[in-house]
Amino acid sequence: MNSPGSIPTATLRSPARLMSALMLGLTGVASFLIVAVLLTVLGYLLFRGFGGLSIDFFTRLPTGNPQDPGGFANGILGTLILVGMAALVGVPFGVLAGIYLSEYGGRGLGAWLVSPVRLVCDVLAGVPSIVIGIVGYELIVVPMKGASAYAGAAALAVIMVPIVARTTEEMLRLVPASFREGSLALGATKSQTILRVVLPAAGGSVITGILLAVARIAGETAPILFTIGGSRLLPGDLDKEFPSLTLQIYNAARSPAPSEQQLAWTGMVVLIAILLVLNLAIRLATARAIKNRVGG
Amino acid sequence: MPTPPTTPQPGAATAARAGAGGRSRPWGDVVLGSLSTGAAITIVLLLAMIVLIVVVSAWPSIKAYGLPFLTESTWRPNELEETLRDPQGRIVYDDDGEPKTVIEPASFGAAPFIWGTAVSSALALIVAVPLSIGAALFIVRVAPRLRIAEPLGFLIEFLAAIPSIAYGIWGIFVLRPFLEKHLEPALRWLLGDLPFMRWMFFRTLADGTEVPIPLTGRDMLAGGLILAVMIIPIITAVSRDVLRTVPRAQVEGVLALGGTWWQSCAAMLRYGRAGLFGAVMLGLARAAGETMAVTMVIGNVNQISLSPLAPAQTMSSLLAMDAGDPNNPLHFSSLFYIALILLVMSLVFNVIARWLVVGSKARTFGS
Repeated sequence: MNSPGSIPTATLRSPARLMSALMLGLTGVASFLIVAVLLTVLGYLLFRGFGGLSIDFFTRLPTGNPQDPGGFANGILGTLILVGMAALVGVPFGVLAGIYLSEYGGRGLGAWLVSPVRLVCDVLAGVPSIVIGIVGYELIVVPMKGASAYAGAAALAVIMVPIVARTTEEMLRLVPASFREGSLALGATKSQTILRVVLPAAGGSVITGILLAVARIAGETAPILFTIGGSRLLPGDLDKEFPSLTLQIYNAARSPAPSEQQLAWTGMVVLIAILLVLNLAIRLATARAIKNRVGG
Repeated sequence: MPTPPTTPQPGAATAARAGAGGRSRPWGDVVLGSLSTGAAITIVLLLAMIVLIVVVSAWPSIKAYGLPFLTESTWRPNELEETLRDPQGRIVYDDDGEPKTVIEPASFGAAPFIWGTAVSSALALIVAVPLSIGAALFIVRVAPRLRIAEPLGFLIEFLAAIPSIAYGIWGIFVLRPFLEKHLEPALRWLLGDLPFMRWMFFRTLADGTEVPIPLTGRDMLAGGLILAVMIIPIITAVSRDVLRTVPRAQVEGVLALGGTWWQSCAAMLRYGRAGLFGAVMLGLARAAGETMAVTMVIGNVNQISLSPLAPAQTMSSLLAMDAGDPNNPLHFSSLFYIALILLVMSLVFNVIARWLVVGSKARTFGS
């Protein structure tokens, strides 16, 4: 909002003006403090992490030997596989549920379900991820008698579904009703309208929601703490202990050896770099989607 | 259309076309409709399943301890062998001259963790809320003129997306040493001699002697501060969105009446108060459920201490520490009891926050 009104600087006659100037200063200080603290966090992570970047980090396995700690090749690969598995299940589910929330709200069987489902999505998105982790442990790890990539990916998918569903819904609702009416008037069925008109019109922004959810689960640690078990080897069987970048960062950060702690910092920078690339991709996709909508 | 519908209701036309025309619904519609309805129902079932699993797994503990679990402060996962003492406090010996022992059974209570979650979240809110709302005001009212609203917004949104483990690492290696070497000694130097502040720096033992609490930087204060840093981006971002929806007339009216800049801001805050409260609730929900960063800095000691300089444990950090290898079935079940408390708490916070934030938007947009 381009705010009206003048920032009082010249006249400080009355107590009200003095108060105003003081509060203006305080909001400035609050912003400065926040930016300073957040930049310190980010800057320190980058500063400490970049120091340890090397080919070894991407190509070697962790050795467990503080003299020669190796790298996190298995963790990076493991996280990519876990996120891919979770997305394989979570994305179709989330998009379909989003379609339901946005397109089946008005009429038909089960329309009464729409607002409860929306509420459930919001609640599910707010469930602490550690709770989802131990439920996954009880439900999958205990019966299967061991940690596995399946259990970890299932926990991550549960976190992903409500985010994808709600953003898909929001994005589909932005598509003007005239698009749907035009398509239906031309004789297209409802499914044709949704799949060939509404979804493509929302296209980029639906992908934004998916990327947001992917970025979120790629950085999660709590839900996989008990479900994947961790491993020093390259990812192999999906029903055995599985490595992940975040889990390795967590363990390395608690190690007393400085060389292992360095691995944690470096791992963090690699993870943040992955997230930053995703974030930029999200911004570009959204910008293009908005431009398309305005243009078309 | 061969037979016009007798009751012209919205939606009746489609039904009539499908029914009266003798055509069934196109199969594509049936497939997509049932798939998406199925996905929606699955989400509901998913939440129901999570609640069910947590309740069922917690049941042995619920049966054993009931509601007093919430106020019981002993958390002892193992049986404890203790020397038997007579009512005067003397050790009882058996015939061989060995001290007699009794086995105390394992016992579980959630009070230290409820305390830990409550106090660390409260500390986080005390630090984060004024800063976040101040910054949100700045972003909405001042930053656009300085042309920094965009970069500020990007920074804050990006930081909201940084995983909690990153904050945890920063907490262990930067915040903790800073608290240990600078902030906490400074606090003790400043306040330690005041008689009414002794509770913060000294622990009273059972026999009445006071011992100083060691300043380690792994304590409730560290947990609260790291949570504050983590929830600042989300509270700022949501407050900013809430303040942006305040109609210009609210601001311009105050200014037109000769109000100062701050008075117009106050009108804005008043108008958006429900949404702002919702933003705070979202922050609270995140703080209370946050696990990894807190686990790494809070010290992980199962105790209730008034002092923010003493180590503590939150509900979620206890789950992270203990659920990996429970000592016995009742221990595991009690962990699920704690997960149930967490689940109910997050449910309540999120529903209130959603109601407030969505409610304030609906009021503004009239939809």
